[in-house]
Amino acid sequence: MKPSLPLIAAATILIFGALAPVIFSGEPYVLYVLTLALCYAIPVIGMNLLYGYTGLVSLGHMGFAGVGAYTTALLMKSAGLPFVPALLTGAAAAGFVGLLVGIPCLRLRSHFFIVVTLAVGMILFTLFNNLDPITGGAEGLPGIPRPQGFTLGSFVVEFRSVSGFYILTFIITALVFGLQVLLVRSDFGRALSSIRQDETLAAARGVNVFGHKLLAFVLSAAIAGVGGAMKVLFLRTAAPLSFELQESINLIVMLILGGAGYLIGPIVGAITFVALPEFLRAAAEMRLIFFGFTLLIVARFAPRGICGAVVAGTRILSRKDKNLVRHS
Amino acid sequence: MATAIFEQLINGTMMGSIYVLMALGMVLIYGVMHVLNFAHGVLFMTGGYLTHLFFFNLTGSYPLAIVLSILTLALIGVVLEGVIFRPLRDNLRMQIVASVGLILIIQNGVIQLWGPRALQMRTSSVSSLVKVGQLSFTMQHFVIIAVVVSAVTALYLFLTFTRLGTAMRATSQHPEAAIVVGINPNRIYALTFMIACALAGLGGALLGPLFLIFPQMGDAPMLKALSAIVIGGMGSIPGAIVGGFGIGVVESLSTLVIPSDYRDTIVFAILILMLLLRPWGLFGVRVRGEH
Amino acid sequence: MSGILDISGVSKKFGGIQAVDGASFSLGKPGIYGLIGPNGAGKTTMFDIICGRQVPDAGEVRFHAQRIDGVKPYKLAREGLARTFQECRVLPEETCLNNVLFAAQDKRLGSEVLQAFTRSATARRSAELEARRLLKLIDIERYADDPASALSYGQRRLLEIVSCLMSKPRILLLDEPASGINPTLLNTLHDFLVEIYEETKIVFLIVEHNMEFIMSLATEIVVMHQGRVLAQGAPERIQSDKNVIDAYLG
Repeated sequence: MKPSLPLIAAATILIFGALAPVIFSGEPYVLYVLTLALCYAIPVIGMNLLYGYTGLVSLGHMGFAGVGAYTTALLMKSAGLPFVPALLTGAAAAGFVGLLVGIPCLRLRSHFFIVVTLAVGMILFTLFNNLDPITGGAEGLPGIPRPQGFTLGSFVVEFRSVSGFYILTFIITALVFGLQVLLVRSDFGRALSSIRQDETLAAARGVNVFGHKLLAFVLSAAIAGVGGAMKVLFLRTAAPLSFELQESINLIVMLILGGAGYLIGPIVGAITFVALPEFLRAAAEMRLIFFGFTLLIVARFAPRGICGAVVAGTRILSRKDKNLVRHS
Repeated sequence: MATAIFEQLINGTMMGSIYVLMALGMVLIYGVMHVLNFAHGVLFMTGGYLTHLFFFNLTGSYPLAIVLSILTLALIGVVLEGVIFRPLRDNLRMQIVASVGLILIIQNGVIQLWGPRALQMRTSSVSSLVKVGQLSFTMQHFVIIAVVVSAVTALYLFLTFTRLGTAMRATSQHPEAAIVVGINPNRIYALTFMIACALAGLGGALLGPLFLIFPQMGDAPMLKALSAIVIGGMGSIPGAIVGGFGIGVVESLSTLVIPSDYRDTIVFAILILMLLLRPWGLFGVRVRGEH
Repeated sequence: MSGILDISGVSKKFGGIQAVDGASFSLGKPGIYGLIGPNGAGKTTMFDIICGRQVPDAGEVRFHAQRIDGVKPYKLAREGLARTFQECRVLPEETCLNNVLFAAQDKRLGSEVLQAFTRSATARRSAELEARRLLKLIDIERYADDPASALSYGQRRLLEIVSCLMSKPRILLLDEPASGINPTLLNTLHDFLVEIYEETKIVFLIVEHNMEFIMSLATEIVVMHQGRVLAQGAPERIQSDKNVIDAYLG
């Protein structure tokens, strides 16, 4: 069997990603930007599960990311919990808030669900911004410790340096990506996809639409929580501005830019949105204007984003190949 | 306490008027075209900046600057509908993508042109104060309320008594209605966007002098207006008016009992409760399978 | 005495309109049943009630003696009730093969998630043979790997029906299968339905407007009029029933 295009793309990204600290060893800034891009890629993967596969739009996802972030930060800073249990608890907390929101709200249809997620995101932001005793208010929680390193024989693994933390973020992203692959390419993923395509038909075929949506929403919120936690560990401070409405909107932008409904769409989108402009040294406003126009074009002509355009392109090319074969 | 309540009632009515302008535009667009225009806030903000531009660089007259910026926004509205939203009709997800694109373009375009810092525009109506008992309000407070009440009345008369207005209302109930009465539906869509953008521009022009003019000034009014049309009942014009004023008054009054930092939380909590208990809103009609 | 599908005293009101008004009928043994009636007779509402899309105000629906009125559509599907839609629904982005395979998949949330982590493909692989056989039956085997949206309307209609069969239903409900099908394809559809009935020997309940089509297809006809069941019997008997003729002409 010929290896498929997505497989090659995924393998290339994996190898390149793992070797990045070696390739860019003299350029910590590049690694810094890549780490930030991965911190966004994680919640975008969560969003992909929800929007790209299940077809639900959430405009409050950074709120869930914030729940995961503050939980992890508090557990590591105040309770001195190690990284892994703190991160898992953060993800569980974000998923739990997703469950609380999802149970009543997922019965609402399209427009209404979007509005309610937006409202939830705004409320969560207000809470982060004002619950000073817990979240530190607008100032946020500074001085969050980086995860402890460890030694394997004579080999020292640490996460404090730029490249060390990059590797950690890369591993977490790879795990979340792997989870996405498992879920999407399973019976569960096919049921989610059927809901996106035709909810009524899915139900008539035996899909518990509400149950599936709820699980997708909870998983997606938990994954966003992991992303939020990685972001505050990276920036070493948890501040409400990291979780405002604009950030939730940015998640959607990244996903649609990269290609919703494609496994590597979130990675492509996050890197394009966060890293590309940094390397082009464009002013922040100019790049946002550029992305604005890109979105208008995507909405009209390429609704499946960069990945969709690439797939369509290769399909046209391969069709040409077939025609050539047939004619010769 | 009574004076405090009265003060907040006036403040709330003033802010509520602004929300009503926004909500009416959004509800018209939603009703007629089934588009939720998340970019409405940046159009509001554009209204503020344009008024500032026309006031200081062209006319020197505040009312004239308002009229010019409304006209400009009406034109922008027609262009936006024709170029961006018309091809995306019935595609909810891509409409959202396009609105986000518009937000990015306009908000950051404004930052490029005017810089990220807030602008001031002290018109005479802001500097002159009106005394009511022990309280004093700026003249602008009452200008806003009066202008909005007149604008809403004018809109109501237009929708009720003109052929085009009737066609617009009819189209929001049945998409084919315009065709039946012999009006090109595309004209209705263009008109709807034109009116909605003009109303948003008016809102920005009115609020700009009172507070400041800055790139994010439209965000909060857009979110409040969105809440207003959901609470009022998606697609219902009376609902948008009651919802807009209601939100303005409730959030102002709430500052008397809870810290003002949580003002937005109150509004969004009401919104969520409404969606859960009565998703068709105060004035909406319950449609089977719509929610 | 309980049959396969028993409807007793079912009523449903929408606003001021009594769509179904104490309708009762029973499908005792496997066969192709036609549910007909003039416009507004209540057959669509009846169909929606059996499929779980509507909850009746009064009365009972029993499937193999078990009450199913008010049971959600997805649970009915798991009980072996398969249905098609008047407007013909398939998963447009999935390939034809995946459309058919999806119908056979175990859709309980727990087993789906388990499948995600065990990545067991045995069930899917063993179903694939049957799926391909069904695609061959409707002559779209060569489109197996093309998205269903690429098919013609008639082909999608057939794909929808074989997808239902793939789930091994105990009853198949067809909502106006002949609507939107061109006359030359109607014969194909007719023969195909007879063929799969002979193979499965389950209850087919077909709501249909096209009289010629249903009269030649069904073994038994149920006629509804003004929300009630007017007559039930063999097609020949129904066609000569005075009440039925009056209802259609009146």
